Amino acid sequence: MKKWWIRPGIRMFAAFLLPILVPAIITMFIWALPGDPASIICPIETCGLEQNRILAKELHLDEGMWSFFSHWISQAIQGDFGRSNYYGLEVLSFQEGKVDLLSESIPNTSLLILFSLMIVSIASMLGSLNMPSKKWDPVIVMIGVIPVIVLALISGAVVEIAYPGAEFPNPKDWLKLIMGAVTLGFADAAFSGSLIGFRETFAREKNQRYVGISILRGESLFSNTFPNVANGLVGQYRARLLHILSGSVIVEVVVGISGVGDLLLRGTLNQDFSVVLAAAFIFSIFSALLLFFQAILECLIALHIRKAPSDIHMYEQQLEAT
Amino acid sequence: MKRLLFAVVLLCFSSLLFASLKAPERSTPGSVLSPYSYVQPFHAESYEKCMSAGTTTTKSMGFGNASQESSSKMDPEICSSMYWMGTNRSGVPLVEYASQGAKIVLFPSIFAGLLTCLFAIAGGLLRCMNIPFVDSVTQVFSEIVGALPRMVVIVICALLLPRELRGLLPLAILWSILSAPTAMDEAGAVAMRLGGARFVEALRAHGFGAFRIYLYHIVALNLRPVVVRQGAEVMMQVVFLELSLSYLAIVAESGSLTHSDDVRSWAELLHMGYAAVVVNEPSMHALMIGLSLIALIVVMATSLSTMARAR
Repeated sequence: MKKWWIRPGIRMFAAFLLPILVPAIITMFIWALPGDPASIICPIETCGLEQNRILAKELHLDEGMWSFFSHWISQAIQGDFGRSNYYGLEVLSFQEGKVDLLSESIPNTSLLILFSLMIVSIASMLGSLNMPSKKWDPVIVMIGVIPVIVLALISGAVVEIAYPGAEFPNPKDWLKLIMGAVTLGFADAAFSGSLIGFRETFAREKNQRYVGISILRGESLFSNTFPNVANGLVGQYRARLLHILSGSVIVEVVVGISGVGDLLLRGTLNQDFSVVLAAAFIFSIFSALLLFFQAILECLIALHIRKAPSDIHMYEQQLEAT
Repeated sequence: MKRLLFAVVLLCFSSLLFASLKAPERSTPGSVLSPYSYVQPFHAESYEKCMSAGTTTTKSMGFGNASQESSSKMDPEICSSMYWMGTNRSGVPLVEYASQGAKIVLFPSIFAGLLTCLFAIAGGLLRCMNIPFVDSVTQVFSEIVGALPRMVVIVICALLLPRELRGLLPLAILWSILSAPTAMDEAGAVAMRLGGARFVEALRAHGFGAFRIYLYHIVALNLRPVVVRQGAEVMMQVVFLELSLSYLAIVAESGSLTHSDDVRSWAELLHMGYAAVVVNEPSMHALMIGLSLIALIVVMATSLSTMARAR
């Protein structure tokens, strides 16, 4: 009880480590593979010997793993992810009028995740309010079982039927985003898991003895249960968000949204390591931010609980005494 | 009820096993001029035509002996496989897609499921040992691994794997490792509800040995529902992962990340069916078969986890 800070502390440590760890692991993998890293990134058969040498020099591949990684991460922190060797464009550029790969992708992915988060949030709210009744559970669970690929196909078909061909690009793009968000919001138990998870958590807490006593004292149910379940709820919420982030790779490709996930897959298939490293870094930063916010919220909740005139202080004093 | 569910699991598993055993080694190329293009399932006319065919130009069609050239009458097995599931645009029976797809997913998904079960057992047992340092190390592992977006990791690893090592098995193992934090957390929570180290102490006081305490009382009697459910879920997710990766490769017009190019995945059935919905190709039967196969996996996984549920 006294060491409540260990868990959020570990989360914060993991949050700071994650954006460095992900590119580091990818770099280690590149060096662990048999063959010259420059040839793995840009095979001589496709790039040619001269281009291969230029690339090795440009990316510091010829100076060993550490040199490559330290150079890449220092550039990435400044927002320079290098140049895509497949598209021949900057991965991210802050110069006005200069075309790059991520400037369009990041807003699209953010909107997709934001919209799908709305669905998950609605499910969470419904669950907290103990709605709908449990008799609907089989239906909700059945919807949750549908894999993301199947729902993405349905969404893709809806978009194609509504706006066939390349006409009406603007409404078509919006419909793609909305359908993609619906897919992510419902597939792989995102909706059902949030709804049932929140409902079960609140229901379990409501049955605690202290809640009954608080109600008898004239206090509200929510103000008593919420601080105690908040940690669990935040954890659930983060897990759902992470799941949505993961599923966005599939949805973006199948529905046809040009986002970071789509870029990552195309970079993967084209062996475009600058794009892959940049996309992985962005995903890991997003995930690290989620971890960081969870840790902060956990700290705030723990401080709130300890500030409240509750039995915890007495319990801690008892523990100290014994 | 449990017996019924066990029978369902057994039936689903044996169908998949049978299909994967019967799957041809290589996919048949088919022909754009095939007279058996988009034969619908249970189409008696095409079946009779196939059975009564003389020397055939559609040598590519087949099930079980796909690479054989036939100059005699059509193989009844080919005709019946065509009858049961229909064909694609090139006249290749869809049975081939179903069986080869089953062969791709069966072993890796089971392996990943078993590995997840082991992770869950380890998570539960570690909590029962009550060693704070191990708990902290486990949490660091869970936080870092659990914070990685799974699909992103899978896609990157698929890229980094050397071509000769590419396949579903390494990705399934990776998926299982990425799912480990959830499984370990849940099993750990069950172990803590049980009493953790105090439960072990209590059983020791009864004179039970370590084997009986850990493997029988904790794992078999208490952790079983969580362990089996997590294993079944990961097994199902690995199948969906294969479908997704194969579908993404089809959309991107690239080589598959999960299997060799001369084998067909269930994702191709979905892709074929998608054309039926969007551009009115007569391939709705492919979509139906693809969705039925997905349903088969869902039913198997759900039955398995329900079967292991505690009384």
